[in-house]
Amino acid sequence: MCPAERCAIVGSGLAALAAFATLRHGGVQAEEIVVFGTQADPTEPFRARARAIRQRRMRSESDGHLAAPAWPGLALRDGRPGALLQTIASRYHPPVDLFLRHAEEVRRRSGWDRSFVERRVERVAAAGDGFEVDGDGLFRHVLVATGHPGHALPEQLAGDPRVVHAYEPHEYASRVAIVGAGMAAATEWLNALAAGAEVVSIRRREPVRRPLNVPRPLFSKRGLAAFHASSPERRAALLRELSTPSYPPGREWDEPLVHAEAEGRFRVEAAPNGAEQIVCATGFVQGYRNDPLLARLQAEHGLAARDRWIVLAPDSTVPELTDDRRTLALAGVAAQWAFPAADTVAGAKYAARAFLRHVCRTR
Amino acid sequence: MSYTLRGRIESRLGAAVPALALAVALQRWWAIELVALMLALGLVLDLCVYHRLLPYQPGWAALPLGALELGLTWSAMRAAGIGAPLGWALALYGVAWASGQLCAHAVFPRLRLEYAEAGGELGRAGVVTAAAVAVTLVGGLGAAYAVRPPTVHLHGVVQGPIVVTRSERLTGGVVRGGIVVHASHVRIDHVTVVGGEYGIDVEHADHVMLDHVRVVRVSLDGIRALDAGVMVHDCSISAPSGPFVTGVLISYSMGRPMSMVSGCTIAGTREGIATHSSMVNVMGNHVVDTTVRGILLGEMSMDMASGNTVEGARGIGIVCMDHSTCEIEHNTVAAARVDGDEDPTRHGVAIEAFFYAEAKVAHNTVVASPGGVRAFDNSLITR
Repeated sequence: MCPAERCAIVGSGLAALAAFATLRHGGVQAEEIVVFGTQADPTEPFRARARAIRQRRMRSESDGHLAAPAWPGLALRDGRPGALLQTIASRYHPPVDLFLRHAEEVRRRSGWDRSFVERRVERVAAAGDGFEVDGDGLFRHVLVATGHPGHALPEQLAGDPRVVHAYEPHEYASRVAIVGAGMAAATEWLNALAAGAEVVSIRRREPVRRPLNVPRPLFSKRGLAAFHASSPERRAALLRELSTPSYPPGREWDEPLVHAEAEGRFRVEAAPNGAEQIVCATGFVQGYRNDPLLARLQAEHGLAARDRWIVLAPDSTVPELTDDRRTLALAGVAAQWAFPAADTVAGAKYAARAFLRHVCRTR
Repeated sequence: MSYTLRGRIESRLGAAVPALALAVALQRWWAIELVALMLALGLVLDLCVYHRLLPYQPGWAALPLGALELGLTWSAMRAAGIGAPLGWALALYGVAWASGQLCAHAVFPRLRLEYAEAGGELGRAGVVTAAAVAVTLVGGLGAAYAVRPPTVHLHGVVQGPIVVTRSERLTGGVVRGGIVVHASHVRIDHVTVVGGEYGIDVEHADHVMLDHVRVVRVSLDGIRALDAGVMVHDCSISAPSGPFVTGVLISYSMGRPMSMVSGCTIAGTREGIATHSSMVNVMGNHVVDTTVRGILLGEMSMDMASGNTVEGARGIGIVCMDHSTCEIEHNTVAAARVDGDEDPTRHGVAIEAFFYAEAKVAHNTVVASPGGVRAFDNSLITR
């Protein structure tokens, strides 16, 4: 058990819930943690996006859940013998419903609601042995998990009335152009085809086929050691390379496209041309500068930054503002400098565990 | 999972705790030696093969890697002369493998949140556990070495009979007049016995291993086990000096651990291998030119005969008799010869059940044996 000390989590999405559950698992009382966010339900942003693209399966695997210990995983909770067999072959991807139900359970059991304070935080500033969060008290340990700053839309499509972002609620017209080549785009191709639409894929490059967001070794110390040892230039280059769109290999993705192509209902083009509807599966705007809180934090404290990332220590902490007395850590997409897959469940838990180590060590 | 080298080693040592605890609980040196062997092989594989070839190890790889390590462990166990009973050795390996899976997928991730992302490293607890396992094994092996049975090397021809009354290993040389074993945990290997009534006579003992022994010119039995549990591997018994010699006779040993006779070649005896009131696994032997029966499983025995070759047996190839229960599978019986005209039970019967015996018979090959496969006198053959 950790002795009591005030902690703050800024943000109230999945990464925040993962951090909260991890702190609670590590023995920190709910009353000692304050979660600042704009929605009480930490699953809501993800739920809305998944609903918009009609996502049925997670890209993550059995251990891609928000409880602190990896075991038991979602395959075991799934209850089907087939799920366990699939997980042995690294082919199990939990249903989104199961993931969300489990997240709800984690929220309830961890006491999240007791710690949640509805507030959009504008400023985190170092003060004394800790940090002020919008001038509210002193927190020795703060984790910033504000999530993606917003949806990205191609400039040339700005103002086009046909445009809808994939993560916004939408139906499908009879001729749909889908911009992008990642997981959301691939999901949208299949959705639109299933809805009877003719689909045009608009993309600048052929999609990378990868089971997970980044190569598997980069999820653990073995691959991360080389990543952390690389020069800032090389690290930034690798992160840019890893941020190119990808989706998993597999027949379930390929076969519908092959059939639709044969029927003349799916093709790749350079521009939307005469499409009735343009779905932008172009993800999120990237970089800390698009997040007002992080941009201000970086500017006010002169934090080192490289390209679009704030430079972090391997454990996701901000080196300039972390010492034996206090901790400032980032989680979620902003923590990619420490963990390339930071915007995944695994990434959220990576940052959360490191944060717990700091919280318990410096208390 | 992407293991680091340290993670592989710590996980392997940490997961060995249940197998090591079982080995200690068994209170047998072979068990400690076997666990040490498993770990040593595993660590060599970790260092030299797995770490290099498997940057990411999917869950299913545990099955082929487990089979590979089982095969290597078994071979190394035989090469090192570790006298572990097959069943226990497999059970110990099974426990080690299963606990490895359980630890890697459930216990370690539960106890250490960072387990997967730390590449299988267990942190301070891992170092302590690994050290404890290493100390236990080194201590156990040291103790096993210190109290191991003495080895007696025989050189040239020794006049017998030799009487063994303590746990020891007897190896090499030629003994005239036979060897008598009156102690458990005795191993006799690469010894040739010439003459005497019994070549090797084991009485009231168990865990006796006879490996690569050769017996010639005895007048009663090549190897006799009476109220004993013996493992006889790769023996050779031939040139009997009278008409009453049985190659290997195991009798009245029902209260002892199961015996095994495997890989032996027996020629020209009255009976090749005979059991009475015992539990014996008779497998992979070659029995030639017996004058009464090739293999006899008798007197309320519960035996298995599999993979044996019986050639030129007079009367009967393989018989299960006298209230015994037998499984007779995958044997080859060739050229069983008719012994007189009067007794149909000896008309060159390849496989026979006789006098209230029950034999389960499957996948045997019978060649040029006029009596075929038959049951006599209230016996039953099932297929």
